[in-house]
Amino acid sequence: MQTLDTLSDVFRKVFGDPELTVGPETTADDVEGWDSMSHVTLILAIESRFRIRFTQKELMSFRRVGDLVKSIEAKAS
Amino acid sequence: MALNSPTYLAFLPLILAVFLLVQVRARATVLLTASLLFYAALGALELLAALFVVTVASYTAGLLIARGQGARARRWALWLGITADLAVLIALRFQTPIAEAVNAVSVALGFPGGSPFPPTLMSVGVSFYAFQGISYLIDLYLEVAEPERHLGRFALYMSFFPKLLQGPIERASDLLPQLGTLGKPTYEDLRAGVLTFFWGLFKKVVIADRLSMFTGAVFSDVQRFQGVPLLIAVVLYSIEIYADFSGYTDMAIGSARVFGMRLTQNFNRPYSATSVLEFWRRWHISFSRWILDYIFKPVQMGLRSWKTAGTVVALMVTFLASGVWHGAAWTFVLWGGLHGVYMACSVLTRSTRARLLKAIGMADSRLVRWWRIALVFALVSVAWIFFRAENLGDAFYIVASVATQLPASIAPSIADWSHNLLLDQSWREAAVVLVSLMVLVAAGLARSRWNLHSPEVFIQASPPWVRWVTYHALGFALVIFPAPATRAFIYYQF
Repeated sequence: MQTLDTLSDVFRKVFGDPELTVGPETTADDVEGWDSMSHVTLILAIESRFRIRFTQKELMSFRRVGDLVKSIEAKAS
Repeated sequence: MALNSPTYLAFLPLILAVFLLVQVRARATVLLTASLLFYAALGALELLAALFVVTVASYTAGLLIARGQGARARRWALWLGITADLAVLIALRFQTPIAEAVNAVSVALGFPGGSPFPPTLMSVGVSFYAFQGISYLIDLYLEVAEPERHLGRFALYMSFFPKLLQGPIERASDLLPQLGTLGKPTYEDLRAGVLTFFWGLFKKVVIADRLSMFTGAVFSDVQRFQGVPLLIAVVLYSIEIYADFSGYTDMAIGSARVFGMRLTQNFNRPYSATSVLEFWRRWHISFSRWILDYIFKPVQMGLRSWKTAGTVVALMVTFLASGVWHGAAWTFVLWGGLHGVYMACSVLTRSTRARLLKAIGMADSRLVRWWRIALVFALVSVAWIFFRAENLGDAFYIVASVATQLPASIAPSIADWSHNLLLDQSWREAAVVLVSLMVLVAAGLARSRWNLHSPEVFIQASPPWVRWVTYHALGFALVIFPAPATRAFIYYQF
């Protein structure tokens, strides 16, 4: 839950929307401005915030926010 | 066989009849046999061999990925499969430059020139199923698709005849589940399938083939024209390639639909895009998704520490690769490169443009929207010049002449209108072009205005008289107004 809260905060900063909240089922289609161009900014912000680095395979298999959370938590533990 | 050939018009209903008559469990076999016959009808053994190698390699590598113990084994299986698919693709698509290189090396080493394999092999369809094989393997590796263990079903996924020659490039998760549950098509499927098929045929034989007479007259000998006629030919070619390729796709989607199957939508009113980025989300969608997912994203993410510069490099790599795939010629490289540059400029100036429009209060302006649509059409059309031109010299001649001689060429063009405005074609042909383009635009506007995203929406939303008028008008146009000469589909060569 805490990961998701921190992740929501990163999303709010990257997409400049203070009201934005994301859930495990959120996909790029649900967030205005989340396209392949802003995706790289988002990934960099997440990596910096959680002090992790995703592998190429992880980055290519992310489909929804839940996948991001799973990957972040696996790296943190 | 080509989808616009009379043979296919007999082949499709025949296969459908057999499909409906046999038992449910034999339906996939009917479709697989039909697909192989369809491909064999091109009379080229190398094509069947290529299909066989790509199918077996992708199937085997897929099973190895699924069963692989540990990341290393799975990665090996992935690269093995991709290498086999790419090897077949490169060997057939680039046989001319390969043969030339072999000759050059032979001569340099003192051996007599002349390759033992002259570059005369056909390659139609190979790109599309090789891309599909690669996409299947990567999706398995990423664990976003399930492996197909039934070889026959996998072979049908690779070879299903409506999409075999020119796509759409189908993702495993979209098409494979449908092949496992081949039921009886509903009345709705048949009605929507037939309507989509004939709408595609209309775009091909009435619009694209007729436009190709106009554009062919100019592009085959560009020096005979200056300014205005060149601009007309460029605009007409942008419409021709859309009518040709989306026409093919509609025929493919319609053909699949009569068997109760849904193929991926490949075009979504691309010339209504307000940015080049959006254009690529609307044009040849299955291919742009492919290059986005399997070339752009890995390169962009690999270079993510470079931030925007990494995105720019990824865009250039992706679009240059796309250009080279279309052909080993500088014209295609420039076409891809131009799209890369457009996208890079768009990314680099995006936030500045947004701030500027907000500052002058025109962020939601309709005028800006129309201006963007016109600009994207112009940019895409400039790139099409390189795609269509016989060589780089012709392409640069057209660009230079339109840029510098346009105002001066207006008066002479009006004086000799038959040559410069009708591009040496008859009034009748020009009138048919004009009316059919109005139909095309009206269909696009209706699709946008009433959200008619698929033929069944149109069928369900329209009163019977509108439907019947449409069916009769379409049939009438196909019988009375097909272009005098039939041409192969433009993407047949890729």
